[in-house]
Amino acid sequence: MGLFETAAAKALASSGVFLFMTVLLIAAAKRISTCIALFSVQSLIITAQIIAVSRMHHSTEGFVIAGLVLSVKVIAIPYVLYRIVEELKAPRDVSSSTSSSQSVFIAAGLILLSFFAVRPYVGVLGGDQAMLAAAVALVLTGGFLMVSRKKALMQVVGLLVLDNGIFLAALTTTFGMPLVIEIGIVFDLLMGVFLMGLFVFRIRDTFDHLDVSKLRRLRG
Amino acid sequence: MVLLFPLFLPLAGALLVFLCRNPRVVVRVALTVGTLELAAIGIAVYSIHSWGVLQLGRYLRADGLTSFFLISLGLISALVLVYSSGYLRHVPEGRFSSLRWFYGLVFLFLFTMVAVYLSANLGMMWIFVEATTLASALLVGFYNTEGAVEAGWKYLIVCTVGIAFALFGTIAFYLAAVKGGVSPQSALDWGTLMAAAPGLVGGRELLKLAFVFVAVGYGTKVGFVPMHSWLPDAHAEAPSPISALLSAVLLNCAMYALLRFDAITSRAIGSGFSHTLLLIFGGVSLAVASLLMIVQRDLKRLLAYSSIEHMGIVAIGIGLGGTLGLLGALLHTFNHSIAKTLLFFTAGNVRENFGTLRMERIRGMALSLPWAGGALIVGGLAITGMPPFGLFVSELVILTAAFSTAHYFIAVLMLAAISVVFGALLHHFQHMLMGKSDDVPAQPALQASWLVVMGVCALCLVVLGVHIPAAFNAVLRGAMAVLQP
Repeated sequence: MGLFETAAAKALASSGVFLFMTVLLIAAAKRISTCIALFSVQSLIITAQIIAVSRMHHSTEGFVIAGLVLSVKVIAIPYVLYRIVEELKAPRDVSSSTSSSQSVFIAAGLILLSFFAVRPYVGVLGGDQAMLAAAVALVLTGGFLMVSRKKALMQVVGLLVLDNGIFLAALTTTFGMPLVIEIGIVFDLLMGVFLMGLFVFRIRDTFDHLDVSKLRRLRG
Repeated sequence: MVLLFPLFLPLAGALLVFLCRNPRVVVRVALTVGTLELAAIGIAVYSIHSWGVLQLGRYLRADGLTSFFLISLGLISALVLVYSSGYLRHVPEGRFSSLRWFYGLVFLFLFTMVAVYLSANLGMMWIFVEATTLASALLVGFYNTEGAVEAGWKYLIVCTVGIAFALFGTIAFYLAAVKGGVSPQSALDWGTLMAAAPGLVGGRELLKLAFVFVAVGYGTKVGFVPMHSWLPDAHAEAPSPISALLSAVLLNCAMYALLRFDAITSRAIGSGFSHTLLLIFGGVSLAVASLLMIVQRDLKRLLAYSSIEHMGIVAIGIGLGGTLGLLGALLHTFNHSIAKTLLFFTAGNVRENFGTLRMERIRGMALSLPWAGGALIVGGLAITGMPPFGLFVSELVILTAAFSTAHYFIAVLMLAAISVVFGALLHHFQHMLMGKSDDVPAQPALQASWLVVMGVCALCLVVLGVHIPAAFNAVLRGAMAVLQP
């Protein structure tokens, strides 16, 4: 194993820690733009992991996927979300129903939970336990962000974090799916974010606020 | 080649519609493309019937099951297009909600659904199921009212999250296949997976995990309780033709995805696990939806809960399995589609005339709107499973399957739920039909195009209730043969 491969393996093993850090920071963040930046960083870590994995498996397809993720998840989607925040001219706090410290506490609990949750499946799914746990933790925190943050945009961020978790799970367990499928998945995500952005503007125009917790007309 | 026409005609239709400026031309183009699409689907179905499985390249494939579902898609979409041509006369010209956008998005929506049916690859199928959400979200929010925007947002978010779980399930299937010795390049191809399924028994735990995720993910789109929260809102707030498309085509589309996964799982590790899961989802959906139907106040929400109830019945049919269960389930998807289309069209008519869908404000339809009132009676009797309509037959077949496989609890639950639904619908519809209305309906006579559409629905329901035509029977057999090799 050459020097680069060793370094790649090491980076891969420790990058789970960085992902846990982004999870905790997103939970603590008070401004939407911070959350978007953190999502971008998170996607960058995952891109690095894809590169490391494809280097270890000597796959060229992996590099294409890495490039795709880099351009869509690290650059395009955060940029679009930033622009929406700017255009909306609305208050930029996340308006959470839990306080910042409570959120961090809950996120830490979710990380612990995900370590316990993946333990029985490490044998079945294969892959590194820390990475699997990171994937589950991303899914859980994404869900937590979606239910606890009231701003429509934060629901999109929560969804993106959740999606990162599933992407990471796919990466650690199977080494990537066929290229065409990956491209389709990323394309769907991009379209989805555009459409959600469109709806965010519509919510603002029809309701004059962005607080989805006040959208309650259609219950029951 | 036969597969390319039904797939790309709607896409071409969408492009053409977006290019047109004149609303009248838009409607004409839409009707023409709809007719061509129906013909293309007819040719595809006939070719599948005569040649068996059709495969085009690595990513397109059609077999008996595809052709069965394509028939209902073709029929319902043609009806919806004809109905829309009369329904959407006074659409305000807004951003994303003009006539042009309506038909353009409908064709995109149809394209994604046909693509789901024609996907050879489970990954591609996932991509297009997600694309159905994206294509239809703007249609759900078409009217741009507070309710419509909220329903569209909820639909987009809930379904995207749900479908994300299905993606993980698909990945886990892929992993199980690769570990079972299928080559990574073809490990998502349904045909390959089905052939290799008996050899995947070693990945039992993984396949179970995968199927749970797939069932929750696609189940969100089918509208299983407790993931159904998007469904009543989306159905109630969308324009009536779109409600019909959602309920009669989209739900079947998601059910089709579940059927494909269920077939592989059952073949690999036995049907016990996946079928039990479907029975649970189906039973819970049936029970909860039937109880909620009693308290509904909005006609379209009532119909939406009825869709959840019927998807529950279909899931029970699949879960019971065997020839009878499967036959009942397939037949029921078809019957439900037609009956629900008829009812949503009637609801659209009610809305046009009374300006509301609140059922307590609607009185005296039998006298003031005799045609729509008649359609409501026919649709109501059909959807509650009364003879001589098709749903009676398919529900009876599923019940027979339940009794003959000694699933007495499910059988009793189903009978009880159907009775509750009958009572609920009788109560609501009776209130709307009887009495004298204070408001004079805007338009007591039905348009000719609506009469045709509703007549076709009623005719199909009666025919399927009395005797299954030989050609339809052949398609049904073809679909069954795919799932039970």
